[in-house]
Amino acid sequence: MSDLFAFNGAKGAGYAQPAPLSDDFTIPSALQRSAAARWPRASEPEIVRHYTWLSTRSHGIDSGFYPLGSCTMKHNPRVNERIVQMSGMNDLHALAPVSHLQGLMAIFHEMQEMLEHCAGMDKVTLQPVAGAHGEFTAMRCIQEYHRDIGQDNRDKVIVPDSAHGTNPASAAMCGYQIIEIPSLENGRLDLDALRAVVGEDTAAMMVTNPSTLGIFEPEIAEAAEIVHAAGGQMYYDGANFNAILGKTNPGLMGFDAVHYNLHKTFSQPHGGGGPGAGPIGVKSHLADYLPAPLVVASVDGEGEPWFDWYNPSKSIGKVQQWHGNSGATVRAWAFYRRYGRELEKMSEHAVLNANYLRHRIMNPSDDVRAGIHAMPIDGAPTDIVKHEFTLNMSPIKDATGVTGKDVAKRLLDYGYMAPTLYFPMIVPECLMLEPTETESKEAIDQFADDFLQILAEDPELVKTAPHDTPVKRVDEVWAARNLILRHPLDEE
Amino acid sequence: MLAAMGMTSMDDLFSDIPEHVRRDAPLDLPEPQSEEEILREARMLLDMNIPVDSRPSFLGAGLYSNYVPTMVPMLATRGEFLTAYTPYQPEVSQGMLQAMWEFQTMVSELVGLPVSNVSMYDASTSAAEALTCAVRIHDRKASQKSTIYVSELIPPHRMSVIHNYTQGAEIVVKTIPHDADGMLDLSVAAAAEGACAVYVEQPNALGLLDEGLCDLKSIVGENTALIVGVQPVSLGLVSPPGDYGADIVVGEGQPFGIGPTAGGPIYGLFACSQAYIRQMPGRIVGQSMDSEGERAFTLTLSTREQHIRRHKATSNICSNETLIALMGAMHMALLGPEGLETLARRNAGACAATKAALLDIDGVEAVHPNGTHFNEFAIRLPRPSADLLTFLDDEYDITGGLDLSQWWPGRENELLVCATDQIAAEDIEDLVEGVQDWLEGYE
Repeated sequence: MSDLFAFNGAKGAGYAQPAPLSDDFTIPSALQRSAAARWPRASEPEIVRHYTWLSTRSHGIDSGFYPLGSCTMKHNPRVNERIVQMSGMNDLHALAPVSHLQGLMAIFHEMQEMLEHCAGMDKVTLQPVAGAHGEFTAMRCIQEYHRDIGQDNRDKVIVPDSAHGTNPASAAMCGYQIIEIPSLENGRLDLDALRAVVGEDTAAMMVTNPSTLGIFEPEIAEAAEIVHAAGGQMYYDGANFNAILGKTNPGLMGFDAVHYNLHKTFSQPHGGGGPGAGPIGVKSHLADYLPAPLVVASVDGEGEPWFDWYNPSKSIGKVQQWHGNSGATVRAWAFYRRYGRELEKMSEHAVLNANYLRHRIMNPSDDVRAGIHAMPIDGAPTDIVKHEFTLNMSPIKDATGVTGKDVAKRLLDYGYMAPTLYFPMIVPECLMLEPTETESKEAIDQFADDFLQILAEDPELVKTAPHDTPVKRVDEVWAARNLILRHPLDEE
Repeated sequence: MLAAMGMTSMDDLFSDIPEHVRRDAPLDLPEPQSEEEILREARMLLDMNIPVDSRPSFLGAGLYSNYVPTMVPMLATRGEFLTAYTPYQPEVSQGMLQAMWEFQTMVSELVGLPVSNVSMYDASTSAAEALTCAVRIHDRKASQKSTIYVSELIPPHRMSVIHNYTQGAEIVVKTIPHDADGMLDLSVAAAAEGACAVYVEQPNALGLLDEGLCDLKSIVGENTALIVGVQPVSLGLVSPPGDYGADIVVGEGQPFGIGPTAGGPIYGLFACSQAYIRQMPGRIVGQSMDSEGERAFTLTLSTREQHIRRHKATSNICSNETLIALMGAMHMALLGPEGLETLARRNAGACAATKAALLDIDGVEAVHPNGTHFNEFAIRLPRPSADLLTFLDDEYDITGGLDLSQWWPGRENELLVCATDQIAAEDIEDLVEGVQDWLEGYE
């Protein structure tokens, strides 16, 4: 156990600092800090060892297969990191004159156009910094649009019960009331349920397609027609865009607004919780409301490309103080350039890997099947899935008492990150698996074999998992009851 | 793999997409590129930019170029940190969880409040969500229902974010003016008593430190949240807001851990007193134990969050800025208390030296001659500051600061000048020479 706050031997910073230019400054007497922050006093080697040790107790895609459904944990190409650490990215000021930012703005402009094209939208802003932030931004644009056309009575947003929690949370932050509609038995959109709630108070419907069950909604265009006929807007949650790029797009499905997760589809590394990036695209009727500023291209006096900022005429203003997560935009640019016109292949391989993994898990050999206590049920009965799929682990629980969570924890012992657990809520004992396109057949075969082996293991071994991790199962209830949210330092 | 599933082509995998919503043409995008080609083009494009470290830069305005020790990006990009998702499985995420718990501790120590979250998107969304959080806590007892007061001296872009985040709950935003010295008008601030929250910044948007804020909590009273936005480096010298009654402290964490990076990804600080814990936004790490009684860490208080509470969540935030907060933690840990004080002195010293040198020039006036400043100060010129900025850019390769009319129309002749630890004595000499040269051009 390395304790950061036990380091107390270093005099001054762990790196050599220059002296101040001048000590001829004043701090008003009432504002002078009386006691220093009790930060550690450590040398650089101590800090390097501390964080290196911490890294060995963390698990990234680099550590092993990471089938965390809905999160699209694909490999993060390292050239992208090299690019964003260049001074021409890392040391830019957001408020610098446009003449200082031409290269960045060229990348912004190309990304705006690429994302517009891929999603079938008319205008893109790169400002939102996370998927949920994009949802919030788009719902604000829709809200201002409705106010502008005299329809501010539209105060309800419809979401299916399979939606990501961020959808209702984002709409609620804009002041909308949420109407949740149940899904059909097979996990699909229930158009009758939609017809029953849609009306002149409908502001929008928020849909993920492929849905959180990993299945393509065959009646998505019909759903859009129903909502549009009532005067509502269709919002596309782009969390699962990795499944369909180049095959279809939200514009074709009838959506008016969409967010993209650059940290999923376009490989911005997620860094243990973020940064992400959640640009949004909209159809032309919503474009005037987008956050300011956007990048516009023209030519300078010598006929060379020139980029400028411009503010949409009825802009909602800012949702982040600067230009969003520019570094994520640049990484995503580098990622998309690797595929270019062949981005479709990315989706094909993601879908191939998901279907193959599902096939391997659901169709064990007779020998293997004979040893298994019980088989999971498909979360959604369908021939093919898109980039992810769900498993209902109830039969295992019924047969042995082993829960979905137990299986997830046991997978950690095998060196895998656990799948997404108990989401979507409409699938009992749900595990949601998404292998992504960057896993090899060998890696998927191995995972499937190991997964099936766990289903054959002694239930006690699985229920008490994990066994081979840096710590054993962590008591989350104790943490919530005791709320030790910082180091006690010398009060210990 | 297809054959194993009884399929013959990739098209079989997409047969569930109805014909009428399928694309009928391939993507109209460039040819695929090799790693070398991408790197070459990225370098070509990014080299067209003019970064702040390539020349003297006096532009701050909320985004600061502080030196980040080499160790920080090297360690933070270790793959186990870089390529992890949110630590939903604590058993294999102890490293990141402990690092964030340590981050919470260091932020708590820095600002003088007991609780910090793992990060917000930036200072503007931190401030905005602090205000909505305060309304949820205080509205029941408030005599001014759903009403908040905000200092007029905050960056307008931050104010715009606050408006977007508060309008949904129909929160009334009122502003508090400042006196001629740029100090918050405490007689007007008294009107905030009975409101849900008051939001001020220390230093404010014009770099002014305001002693009067120490009295603000007693003026507005227990039932009104005092929310203070900070430049965190200043807290090496300046009192933590928790010491003068702040209930929530927010700010741009960026000077710790990362360059200005065009404004993102950076991270927002959010710390609060115990009373706000169950209404605060964002991820929080708590200490716990494993099944054998060993100390362990885990995400906690998730019942506030969107994946559990859905539309009743305290915030929609899911992805945050953990990796950048980790870089901030590494920087803070390497600084230590004495290093932090030195860093704050370097910023205060560079600011004071720049201010003294500029005010020595005939024709340059301080906008707030009685003010004490950290990092930034405003000057008044005889002609539009935009003109000076172009001149310095073209003739001296200096980025001179922010034309204040970009924030507030009517302030065309005012310039916001920032000096951080990255300003050297020669940079100040060059700036002075440039300003004198510009002024002489009009004589």
